[in-house]
Amino acid sequence: MAETRTRPATAWLKLLALPAAIVATLALFGYLEPRVLTTGNLRNIAVQTSYLVIFAMAQCVVILTRGFDLSLGFNVSLVSVAAAMAMVATGSATAGIAAGLGVGLLVGIANGILIGGIALNPLVTTLGTSYILLALASTISGGFPVPNLPESFTGALALARPLGLPAPIWVAGALFLILFAVLHATRFGRSLYIIGANPRAAIAAGIPTFAVLTAAYTLAALLAAVGALLLTARTGSGEPNLGGNLTLESIAAAVVGGVKLSGGEGGVGAALMGALLVTILSNGMNLVQVDGYLQNIILGLIIIASLIVSRDTGRK
Amino acid sequence: MPDTQQSVGRRFVQNGGIVITFLVLAVVATIVAEPRFLNQLNLTNVLRNFAFLAIPSVAQMLVMTAGGFDLSLGAVVAVSSLLTATVMGWAAAAMPGMDVAITLAALGSVLGFGLIVGLVNGGLVTAFGISPFMVTLAMMSILMGGALYVTQGIPIYGVLDSFVSNVGRGRFLTLPVIMWLAVLVVLAAVILQRTTVIGRHIYAVGGDDRSARLSGVRTTRVTITAYVMASCLAGFTGFLMTARIGSGQATIGATLALETIAAAVIGGTSLRGGVGRAELVALAALFLTVIANAMNLVRVDSKFQTLVLGAVLIIALGIERLLLRRRTDG
Repeated sequence: MAETRTRPATAWLKLLALPAAIVATLALFGYLEPRVLTTGNLRNIAVQTSYLVIFAMAQCVVILTRGFDLSLGFNVSLVSVAAAMAMVATGSATAGIAAGLGVGLLVGIANGILIGGIALNPLVTTLGTSYILLALASTISGGFPVPNLPESFTGALALARPLGLPAPIWVAGALFLILFAVLHATRFGRSLYIIGANPRAAIAAGIPTFAVLTAAYTLAALLAAVGALLLTARTGSGEPNLGGNLTLESIAAAVVGGVKLSGGEGGVGAALMGALLVTILSNGMNLVQVDGYLQNIILGLIIIASLIVSRDTGRK
Repeated sequence: MPDTQQSVGRRFVQNGGIVITFLVLAVVATIVAEPRFLNQLNLTNVLRNFAFLAIPSVAQMLVMTAGGFDLSLGAVVAVSSLLTATVMGWAAAAMPGMDVAITLAALGSVLGFGLIVGLVNGGLVTAFGISPFMVTLAMMSILMGGALYVTQGIPIYGVLDSFVSNVGRGRFLTLPVIMWLAVLVVLAAVILQRTTVIGRHIYAVGGDDRSARLSGVRTTRVTITAYVMASCLAGFTGFLMTARIGSGQATIGATLALETIAAAVIGGTSLRGGVGRAELVALAALFLTVIANAMNLVRVDSKFQTLVLGAVLIIALGIERLLLRRRTDG
């Protein structure tokens, strides 16, 4: 902000820091383990990034308004289980996709009404809904995976490669472009930034805060539902544990990418950069066989480091 | 101005109306639905579980009152459990037979660990102005990763038998020792909040950081102290849980951070800082323990129980909002 105007050099440095970090991380792991830089693994990174960027974009939409979605991970679990059960019952991929998106829509509206309508604290509210979603996902599935999904579903959302690119990349790319347009070219998108930057000014300017917040949480949950469907197609079954780590990872990706917790700053580009960096890190650590638990430590350290670097002055 | 009505609601909330109503309803409903609740063994169990939730919930309340948040409490509990078992093993080898000294060495190690975590959490929050939520989330990831990496999920044995029998299973005046310790912690917190300078300063910093600083409160020091006290209490919880389980476990406390936030919120602690009372939070912890016990007694699927916790949390938040009618967050 003010810093950008007075110190353009620092601004450039900040802009380039993340791409540089991404390239450096890739180079480091490529040096440690040549398999990291093979075409096959790079494609793998691209596909994994396309899942994470969808979740990071979902998180970004609500963080822009000074919010959070802690229910994202278990929303993903519930969507996965519900979609799989609908498909097993009907044998139709369309029914599964409709069920999954329907669940996402309901979750989003519920979060949205509680946070936008009743103005409850987003952190604790989505913590509460996350408990509820976890309970629903594990109860309706009995805690077990739901297998035997129709091939038309896994074929279309995981295996298909139009023009040589895997389907998840197309979906993530399309969502990226749509969300970019929504954030920057619509009144709704601009309202998100204004609410995040200064909620009182937003009200004074006549922005229907309740409606915008409700829509933001609904949009976030729908994005999460799309990501959940893609992940379900990849694993080939509905998984009640699918979203376990995704809340943390999506927040990490958004924050590392530069979406400010103080609201009003960041966008789809930040979500993409963050998702790419987090994915390259976990892919590289897997290939050089860093213990999975050790990876949690490293992820935590990176979150703290990136927050110190960006001096994200969070609100209380 | 709807002042009278509003102030009745406000007074109701501030004096723990929500939590006391919840607690009475839960106890009455449980006794009606399942008389076995009053069975002595069951009540002992409830009181012990109450202690394991009440201590870290008071910790969470202290941080929240200072305007923060601590998601790493559960992870501190887990690491402290491992530390207790490990240090007891070492100390027992170094000074066999000196059970009291061995136990104190373990207690010292968890309090030391709590001190370090609290200093780091509080230091990062105050020095860099990073959101407490993110700092403690990252800390949780680091500590849980570390605990599981070191142990690979395998329990650590070597806990003293006398520790298990005197503290874990011990009784004083027919009630569990662990419960008495929790009562002491709650009383200490009440005294801290009502009569000490640091207690008043915690309220001041959480209520309005800037005016607190302008009136001469060393806000950085106060905030860090709140985080340190919280982590030390979490360490103490891990110490007590180890006495109960008889081994060090990396997996205890996984959902504890969330449960403590629930207890703090139901007990009327403000999410924006400045408001929070230890005795009400302890009652909220008792309420949550009672409903968990009731659901076990009537055999509600454990997977489904989290749903009730989530719903209670949101309802408590909603009631508070309704009665306080705060203006929109800004």
